[in-house]
Amino acid sequence: MKKHTDAGKNIVLDIRGQICPACLMITLRELNSNKDKLKNEKARLVVKTDHRDATRTIPGAASAMGYSVSVLQRDRYYEITLEYGK
Amino acid sequence: MYRSDFCMAGVFRDAYLFRDYLRLRALFLLICLLAVFIYLIRYFKLISAYPPSFFGTPSVADLCGGVIFGIGMVLGGGCMLSTLYKLGSGHTVSAITFCGALFGGFVSAAFYPLFRSFASSTVLIENKTALEHIVGSIGAPVLVTSLLAVSLALRWIKKGGWSQPAYARGYLPLWKASIIMALVIAPMVAFSGRPLAVSTGYAKLSGLLGGLFLPTLTGKLAFFHIEAPRLLYGHIMNGGAAPVLDSVALTQFSLMAGVVSGSFISSLKLGEFKITRLPPRRQAFSAFFGGMLMAAGALMAGGCNLWHLIGGLPLFALQSMVFALGIAGGAFLGAVFIKKAVIRQTK
Repeated sequence: MKKHTDAGKNIVLDIRGQICPACLMITLRELNSNKDKLKNEKARLVVKTDHRDATRTIPGAASAMGYSVSVLQRDRYYEITLEYGK
Repeated sequence: MYRSDFCMAGVFRDAYLFRDYLRLRALFLLICLLAVFIYLIRYFKLISAYPPSFFGTPSVADLCGGVIFGIGMVLGGGCMLSTLYKLGSGHTVSAITFCGALFGGFVSAAFYPLFRSFASSTVLIENKTALEHIVGSIGAPVLVTSLLAVSLALRWIKKGGWSQPAYARGYLPLWKASIIMALVIAPMVAFSGRPLAVSTGYAKLSGLLGGLFLPTLTGKLAFFHIEAPRLLYGHIMNGGAAPVLDSVALTQFSLMAGVVSGSFISSLKLGEFKITRLPPRRQAFSAFFGGMLMAAGALMAGGCNLWHLIGGLPLFALQSMVFALGIAGGAFLGAVFIKKAVIRQTK
């Protein structure tokens, strides 16, 4: 797993190549551990995944927690961006 | 399967870990549809050899096999079938699970005589292999299942429990995948006279590879010499784990190759095919060990989840019902373990 914060205050989580159900579990863990940053500092969590099912499970769980979701297909992976509120 | 990500390991695992019941509902729909379709096929006498002779009497070995298989499929990130479609789309972790299943098939072949004697000494119901042997007819169980399925389906439609937005390109909703699979599998059962299976195909592949690298040891394992007559497409053909061209090679290798190549083509078409990077070490070990457990569980229970859940449950085979209980319990244990020991520690 690779994780870094980019110039635009996005927390970028690269979980490509991981076993099911790591995508959702790690994303939920990051949402919880970065809750204040995501809510107060308007940061976004950007998840890079190559699991198709994560495009169903992550948006579903994040929406229920009050996050808005956008999903883009990149070069052979999906980029899921989660932003609180909006 | 690839487009909907119809992963049977996820059916139980996601229900336990995330209270996500979408796949469980899809599997339920698939089993119910197959039960009705196969009943109709039997009613119109398109299948001659029934009640099914290829399921044995239920035993504690089926329960234990189900538990071991359930733990294995969760640790492996996919069952024996879903490992194949994930492998076809380039998932390295599934390749590790696949190798684990082959290695596990070879190792557990040494315990085959022990598994068989355990099964024969722990039979739960003597001389009965299917529910119709107990209730006298298959009509009543099919009717009860159909009514239950319809009432649950209507309830889930009302609550919006059949689908969830998914953003993957070319995503096929799970309920649609269930209907398509039922429409494909039921005629296959009618024509071949047998449910689908892959676990003996895995075992045969283990034996073939064992014969290449460890010929003396492989030759000593009785399991790799077993060839038994099977009814297939109206003919009696030999089939088993022995490394020869037989009914298992014809049907199960074809199915395995079909699933891998189907998902390969599908993932290429959707712009998703990629040999993924290696998973973290702990996950790689979990995948390999999970594959090994699946092979051992399938050997102990006389078949994997495809054989028992998709093949046996629609026929109300008692052995498959016991296996289903085991796999549900095993998946729970696997989910607890993967959460606490595999993913939680991954940094």
